[in-house]
Amino acid sequence: MSLSKFKRNYYGYLFIAPFVIGFLIFGLYPVYNTLALSFTDTTLMTKNANFVGLKNFERLFADNVFINAVKNTWIIWILNFIPQVGIAMLLSIWFTNTRLKIKGVGVWRALFFLPNLLVPASVAALFFAFFSFYGPVNQFMVRYGLLPEAMHYLQSVPVTRGLVVFIQWWMWFGQTVIIVMAGMTSIPVTLYEAAMVDGATSSQMFRRITLPLLKPILIYVFVTSLVGGMQMFDIPFLLTDGRGSPNASIQTNNILMYMKFASSKGHIGAASSVGVLIFIMTSLCALGIFYFLRDRDNDAPKRSWFSKKSTER
Amino acid sequence: MFENYRFNTSVIRFFVYLVLIILLAVTIIPIWILIVNATRSTTEIQQGLSIFPSTHLFENYRILLGKGLNLPRGFSNSLFLAVSSTVVTVYFSMLTAYGIVAYEFKGKKLFSNFIVLLVMIPMQLSIIGFYQYMSKLGLTDNYAALILPLIANAGAVFFGKQYLESMIMQDLIDAARIDGASELGIFHLVMMPLAVPGAATMGIFAFVASWNNFFNAFILISSIEKYTLPMLVQTLRGDVYRTEFGAIYLGLAATIVPIIVIYALFSRYIVSGIAIGALKE
Repeated sequence: MSLSKFKRNYYGYLFIAPFVIGFLIFGLYPVYNTLALSFTDTTLMTKNANFVGLKNFERLFADNVFINAVKNTWIIWILNFIPQVGIAMLLSIWFTNTRLKIKGVGVWRALFFLPNLLVPASVAALFFAFFSFYGPVNQFMVRYGLLPEAMHYLQSVPVTRGLVVFIQWWMWFGQTVIIVMAGMTSIPVTLYEAAMVDGATSSQMFRRITLPLLKPILIYVFVTSLVGGMQMFDIPFLLTDGRGSPNASIQTNNILMYMKFASSKGHIGAASSVGVLIFIMTSLCALGIFYFLRDRDNDAPKRSWFSKKSTER
Repeated sequence: MFENYRFNTSVIRFFVYLVLIILLAVTIIPIWILIVNATRSTTEIQQGLSIFPSTHLFENYRILLGKGLNLPRGFSNSLFLAVSSTVVTVYFSMLTAYGIVAYEFKGKKLFSNFIVLLVMIPMQLSIIGFYQYMSKLGLTDNYAALILPLIANAGAVFFGKQYLESMIMQDLIDAARIDGASELGIFHLVMMPLAVPGAATMGIFAFVASWNNFFNAFILISSIEKYTLPMLVQTLRGDVYRTEFGAIYLGLAATIVPIIVIYALFSRYIVSGIAIGALKE
C-alpha cells in the first residue's frame, strides 16, 4: 500500500515537470540573462561585450532622464489608482446595499468592465484620433463654444498626462469594482446583523467591519495595480510619438527601456539595467505594502473564510 | 418617521442611478463612436459627431487595403497566435495544476507558493534577456518565441489550482484507478471533461491576453507579414493615413469588435473568473 502510494505521488513530479522545464528555459534563464546583461555594455550591433560593473546604473542616475521616467510612471499610476479604488468602493457599497436594492447589478458590472478587454494599442490610437487637431473633441468643443478655437491637446503636458490617467482609469476601474465587490459579499452577513442589534450606525459598521475584513482584498488590488502600473507601456507609447511627448511628460519606465533597446545601437545592456532597477523598486514597494498593512492585531477577526474550507483527502 | 426613511432611500436611489448612468456613458460612448465612425466616410466624420451608423463601411475597407494595410493577414496572424496560445496555456496549466492538487509530494507547498511569487514578477525583468537569448537561438521573428513560454504560465496555473481545489474529485480519481486507468489517462478522460467550465474561463483570458499583447510581439516580431493586429494599429498612426479618418476607425474597430463579441457570449465566465485570484490567496 505504502509503495503504491509512493509511486502514485511520484506522478506529481511528472505532472509538474513540463512547467518546471518550461520555466527554466523561458522564465528563469531570461531573467538571469537580463541581470547579467545589465552589468555589460552589450549592444545588438557588436559581437564582443565587456563587463562594466555598475556603470550602466551610474549612467542612469547621471542625467535626469531615468528619474523623470520613474516620476512620470508614479504620477500617472497614483492619479489613476486613487479614483479607481474610490469609485470601486463606492459602487461596491451601493451594489451590495440591501436597502437600495440596485437593479441589474450584474449588467452594470459587466458593462463597466468592458474597456478592460479592449486592445490597449487600439484604445490609445482611438484617443489619439479623438484628441487630434481635426478630431471630434475639437469639433465638439468649438461648435458648442466651450473653447474659443481648436487646440493641440496632445502638445499640452497636463492634458496629455491627464488623458493617460483617464484612459488607465477607464480601462481598470471596472475590474477593481468586481474584485472589491467579491470581497464585500464574502463578509458574513451575521457580522452586520450582530452589529445592528448592538445599535451600530452604518458608518461604524463600514469602519469596524467592512474595512478591516476587506484589507486582504485591498492589499491584493494595491499590489497587482502597482506591479501593472509600473509596466505601463501601450497607452503612453501609442498616444503620442512613442517617446513620451510632449516634453517627455508621459515617458514611462518601459518606454525608456524600449527607447534604449530600439536606439540606433540597440544598447541592450543599458535597457536591461532599466528593467532591473524598476523591478527592484517595484518589489521594495510591494513588500512595503505587505509590511505596513499586515495584521498587527492578533485578536482581529481572522480571514478564515478566505482560505479553503477543507483539504481532506 | 417611516415616511421620511422611505423618502430618503428613494432620493439616494435616484442619485445612485444617476451616477451609474453617467459612468456607463463614459464607458460606452468612446467605443460606440469608434464603431459608428468605422461606417462613416471621412467627409461625414469631419462634419461632426453622430451616434448613428452610416453606409460607408466597404468604402473605408477599400481605402484601408488600398493604402497597403493588410488587415485580413493581421487578423489571421492574431487569430493563429491567440488560438495556439490558448491551447498551450490551458493544456499545460491544467496539467500542472492537476499535479499540484491531485498528488501529495515533497515540496508541493513550496512549489505552489513559488507560483504565486512568479505571478508578481514583471516582464521588464526578463524581456531584454529573453530577446537576446531568442536571437541567439534564431527564434526572433518567430511565433514560437511568443507561444512556447506559455508552457510555464504562472498566472494560469494559479487560476487552475484554485479551480480544481474547489472541485471534489478524489472519489472519481480513485474509481478510475480501480478501473485500471493510467494516471495521465485519468487527467485526460476524467478530469478534463469535468473541468471544462474552469478551462473555458482560463482559455478566454489566455485568448484575450494574446490578442491584446503588443509589447512582446513588438519586441520580438520584425517582418511585416507577421505583424499582429495591435502592431498594425501602430502603423495606422503613420502619415499615409493622416486624412483617412474613416479607414483609421475601421482598422481600430476590426481589432476590438471580435473581443466585444467574445465578451457578449462569455461575460459570465469572464466576470466570475476575475475575482478568483483575489478571494483565495
